[in-house]
Amino acid sequence: MKNSLIILLLFIVQKGHSQELFVVTDPASNVPANSLGVNIMQLAFKKKFESGYNYHIIPELTYGINKNLMARGTAFISSTSDQLVSEGGSFLLKYRFFSSDDLNSHFRLAAYGRYSFNNSDIHQEQIEILGHNSGFETGIIATKLINKLAISSSISFEKAMDNKPNYTFPSAIGDNATNYTLSFGKLMYPKKYTSFKQTNINLMVEFVGQTLNENGKSFLDVVPAIQFIFNSQARLDFAYRQELMSSMLRTAPNGFYFNLYYTFFNLKK
Amino acid sequence: MKNINKLKIAITLLVLVNITNVKAQIIKAEIRATGLTCSMCSNAINKQLKTLPQVANVETDLNTNTFTVTLTKDNNLTPNVFKEKVEKAGFFIGSLIITVPTIMTNSNTYIFVEKENANPNELQIKILDKGYVTDKEYKKLLKSLKEIGSYSLHNENDYHVKIIKV
Repeated sequence: MKNSLIILLLFIVQKGHSQELFVVTDPASNVPANSLGVNIMQLAFKKKFESGYNYHIIPELTYGINKNLMARGTAFISSTSDQLVSEGGSFLLKYRFFSSDDLNSHFRLAAYGRYSFNNSDIHQEQIEILGHNSGFETGIIATKLINKLAISSSISFEKAMDNKPNYTFPSAIGDNATNYTLSFGKLMYPKKYTSFKQTNINLMVEFVGQTLNENGKSFLDVVPAIQFIFNSQARLDFAYRQELMSSMLRTAPNGFYFNLYYTFFNLKK
Repeated sequence: MKNINKLKIAITLLVLVNITNVKAQIIKAEIRATGLTCSMCSNAINKQLKTLPQVANVETDLNTNTFTVTLTKDNNLTPNVFKEKVEKAGFFIGSLIITVPTIMTNSNTYIFVEKENANPNELQIKILDKGYVTDKEYKKLLKSLKEIGSYSLHNENDYHVKIIKV
C-alpha cells in the first residue's frame, strides 16, 4: 500500500497540468462570484469494531458572495443507526486574502471559519466537525500552482463542543485539535484542450492529519482520488481514505467517497 | 467680421466637444487570463463575460486561456468591465488587447505611451495599467514608463496603451 502510494505520488508530482478541486480539502481559491456549487457527497466507511459500513450523505451549497468571499452551507445525514437521520449542519466562510497570479500559475492564501452542530452520539477521540461533532474550526490555506501542478496545504484549529441536546463532550478526551492537510492534484486528460465539452480527468492524493492538543494523540490518513469533469460544469469524484498511522480511538477511519458536484454560473446578472 | 469669428469659435468648440464625446467604443477585446489551467475555471470566465448584454460572442482558447470577445455596435464598455468580470470568476487579466476605431486616439480615455504614425480605421491597443498586465510586467513598465507621470497614479478613468499592430 505504502509503496504504490509513493509511486502514485511521484507520478503526479513529475508530470505537469493539474487541478485543485480537491475531494476532502478546500483550495485557497473560491467558487466564482454569483455562482452556486451544489454537491452531494456520499461516504461509506467501514466500521472498525463491528461488521458493516457507516453511511453518510452530505449535501452542500457553496456560493460566491464576491471575488474574494465564499459561503457554504452543509447538512449531515447519516445511517449509523440503521436508518437515515439528519444529524446536523455546518456553515463555512472562506476569504481569499492574497493572490499572486501569473500565466498558468498562481499562489493564493485564504482564511476560513466553520461552525457545525450535530446531535449524534460521541464515540471516538478523533474530532470531526464535518458530520460527527458540534464545534468550530478556523484555519489558513495556501495553494500553489506551478507548471500546472497544484499543491495545497492547510493548518487549522478545531474545537469540539457538546452534541446537544443529548450528548455532552466527554471531559476525559481532548476537545481541541490541530489539523493539517497536504494535497496534490494533476490533470491527466486531455493533454491538449479542444473544447469546453471535453471530459477532464484528474488524479489527486491528499494527506489529512490531526493532533489532539491536550495529549498529542494523532492520526494521519491518505486519500487518493480520481475526478471527472464533464462539460466544464459538472464533477464526479471517487476517493478512498486509508489510515496510515493513528494513536487515537477512531471507530471508522477507512472508507469510500463518492461526490457529485454541479456549478450554476451567474445566478444574478 | 466679429460674427464670423464667433462662428469660427463656435464651430471649433463643437468639433472639440464632439471629439471628446466620442464613445469609448471597443469593437473587440482579446483577454488573456492568469492563474488557471482548468477548463472549468475558463468556463467561469466565459460565463461571466457572457452576462454582458453588449457581448455578441466569446471565443475561448482553453490552452492559452485567451478569450476573444466580440462586442455589439454602439456599446459603451470600457476596459475595466473586463477586469471586473475576470476577477469575479476568481482570476486576473494577464493581457488585454482591444480593437478600437482610430478616432479614439483623440479621446481622453487612452493615453498613448509611444508615438504612433499610422492612421487606419481601426487600431489594436494593449492596456498597460496595473491589473491589466501580469505583476512582473507591471513592475517592468513602472520603470520604463517613469517619465509618464500619470502611469503610476492608477487613475481609473484613463488607460495607458500602446499600439500592437496596424
